[in-house]
Amino acid sequence: MQVRAEGPRSTQREEKQLENSIDVLINQVGDLKKSLASFIYKLENEYEHLTWPSVLDSFALLSGQLSTLNKMLKNDKTPLLRNQVIIPLILSPDRDEEIMRVTEGRVPVFSHEVVPDHLRTKPDPEVEEQEKQLTTEAARLTPDVALKQIQSLNKMCSSLLEKINKEERESESGGLRQNKSTFNPADTSALVAAVTFGKGLSNRRPTGPGGSSVGGQPNSAGMMSSGPTLQQVQISMGQNQQQMSGVAMSQPGQPGKMVSNIKTNIKSASMHPYQR
Amino acid sequence: MTDTDALRNAKRSTRIDAWCGYTMEAPPVSAMPVSGGTINMMEYLLQGSVLDQSLESLLHRLRGLCDNMEPGTFQDHEMVFLLKGQQGSPFVLRARRSMDKPTMPWHLRYLGQPEMGDKSRHALVRNCVDIATSDNLMEFLLEMGFRLDHEFVAQGHIFRRGSMKIVVYKIFRLLVPGSTDSIEALSLSYLVEVSVVAPAGQDVISEEMRNFAEQLKPLVHLEKIDPKRVM
Amino acid sequence: MGVTCVCQMPVAEGKSVQQTVEILTRKLELLGAEKQGTFYVDCETYHTAASPMGNQGQQGKLMYVMHSSEAPLSCYALFENGPCLIADANFDVLMVKLKGFFQNSKANKIESRGTRYQYCDFLIKIGTVAMGPSARGISVEVDYCPCVIVNDCWNLMVEFMQSFMGSHAPGLPSVFSNKHESVYSPADTMVQYMELLNKIRKQQQGPVSGIR
Repeated sequence: MQVRAEGPRSTQREEKQLENSIDVLINQVGDLKKSLASFIYKLENEYEHLTWPSVLDSFALLSGQLSTLNKMLKNDKTPLLRNQVIIPLILSPDRDEEIMRVTEGRVPVFSHEVVPDHLRTKPDPEVEEQEKQLTTEAARLTPDVALKQIQSLNKMCSSLLEKINKEERESESGGLRQNKSTFNPADTSALVAAVTFGKGLSNRRPTGPGGSSVGGQPNSAGMMSSGPTLQQVQISMGQNQQQMSGVAMSQPGQPGKMVSNIKTNIKSASMHPYQR
Repeated sequence: MTDTDALRNAKRSTRIDAWCGYTMEAPPVSAMPVSGGTINMMEYLLQGSVLDQSLESLLHRLRGLCDNMEPGTFQDHEMVFLLKGQQGSPFVLRARRSMDKPTMPWHLRYLGQPEMGDKSRHALVRNCVDIATSDNLMEFLLEMGFRLDHEFVAQGHIFRRGSMKIVVYKIFRLLVPGSTDSIEALSLSYLVEVSVVAPAGQDVISEEMRNFAEQLKPLVHLEKIDPKRVM
Repeated sequence: MGVTCVCQMPVAEGKSVQQTVEILTRKLELLGAEKQGTFYVDCETYHTAASPMGNQGQQGKLMYVMHSSEAPLSCYALFENGPCLIADANFDVLMVKLKGFFQNSKANKIESRGTRYQYCDFLIKIGTVAMGPSARGISVEVDYCPCVIVNDCWNLMVEFMQSFMGSHAPGLPSVFSNKHESVYSPADTMVQYMELLNKIRKQQQGPVSGIR
């Protein structure tokens, strides 16, 4: 552990600055913790009527707080915290109420068991061991081989990067395209007209005088640009066909063949205001 | 989190007990013959559509937003019948049968004139009567004097969220009248409908529906569409 | 339910409807039949309000909407010699909506109410048929629960009916005529009731026997 004792020359000003920034950090971490807790609470207790916008709000709040925290740490005025040293002065196996309070009940004692975990600044010994192995291995490589490996790695990285960028561009433009048209208002109208009035569905619309108030009224035909099928209405032999009681649509004679019946353009007919 | 109301409202729920197995137990007999059903039920409706290529995104979002039930699919054949009087507008009835579950009861539906209401109401409202029936419905309607006006096949997905029913389906035209063997899609979009059936006067529901519709934006814009506008 | 036969029991000479019903139920109880609550079947008549355009065949056609305590959430709609639709109770609501086209002739409402008996595998319902306050006749329904094929149990049913109706046991009901080997359905029972109630309505028997 590197220990750099605070020189007697460190001015009071520096100390104050450190204290101030620590206070700010504590406040910000506290805020972050609060919003995390409330979000978790929301997820656990209000999931029944949790709305997606409110989840998004929570996310936005968290990410905002995290980025302020990061900015704060990188700020010029914040002293480099890594240069500060914390030394445990007393270890005790006894329960410490003050620690309990400060850590909100997470750390009950400040003993030799927990201190190495909480105050650790270096990797685990096993990790350190592995790292050492890697370093010696690297040292054994000749500069030539190392250079080659570096080059091939760079090549791989750049090609990978290119692929990722390309993918990103494509999905972005794809997303944009999707955003532009996931639906078509004209289709909505056509579909609603179809389920409500049968518009565009049937060639067997009765063409009796007066028409029906339900179903495409003749004079409305001009209003809709889509649905050309509507304007073609067949005069079928339907009238007498339907006299036969209890005859299902599977009634032979008419199927398919009906298409060959006279087609008329109702639009032209409807243009006549006195048509009856 | 079961929602019996929604189940009751679900399209295919049936209360025809004449098909159930009989026991020798005497059924409860009320003082008066039950002649009833639920009077004055209203359907609250929002409609929109989604293009075929965005269907998957919509379904994905619905799976996330809706109640955790088996996502259902359906394929129905709807026939619309008219009964004409001497004057006035004809009486319209809709008969639906499930093509993929042929043993299901047929579904007969009456829909009243849609009320747009004012701006404070966010959904279209119309009177509705839903009846489960036996499979000779078509023959019966013809006997009553109804005539088949048009028919279509609806095929798609159904979701539920609380008392809301969400259906996403494609409409097919029948190439040969009466035969569902050869059908042709009407458009390159799926119709999306959010509906609730509730007793009259519960306009709060429309608020809930609007909030739900907000969450499907910008994928789908669900609106109260005045049918007269699209006629 | 199984194969069911609905028939009329004539009022015994010199007796009222009620007295005849009592004689009949006493016979059943002596046989060992157990009382099991009550039952009803009602039938409302609708006629077309105005003849639909170009549809002369519809004129004068009557439609019946029936309910039965055996299936209290269902509703049966039928035409004479026509199809019988089984629907849920919302069908009644629909008929209200349809009142511009089909009118309920309230005066023609006819119903049968009475006691339900069980005797081994048989269900027997003895009902007083009434229009408004006046009793018009007696209906007897016998349901042989274990069987749904008419041909397989008709003889047994006749034998059973003779045991308490004597010579008034009916012949083969007309709905059975095309049902010999096919599965019997609840709608067939309603058709029989409809025919029976119509017959009784038309009988306008001379002395209407007062209170039921």
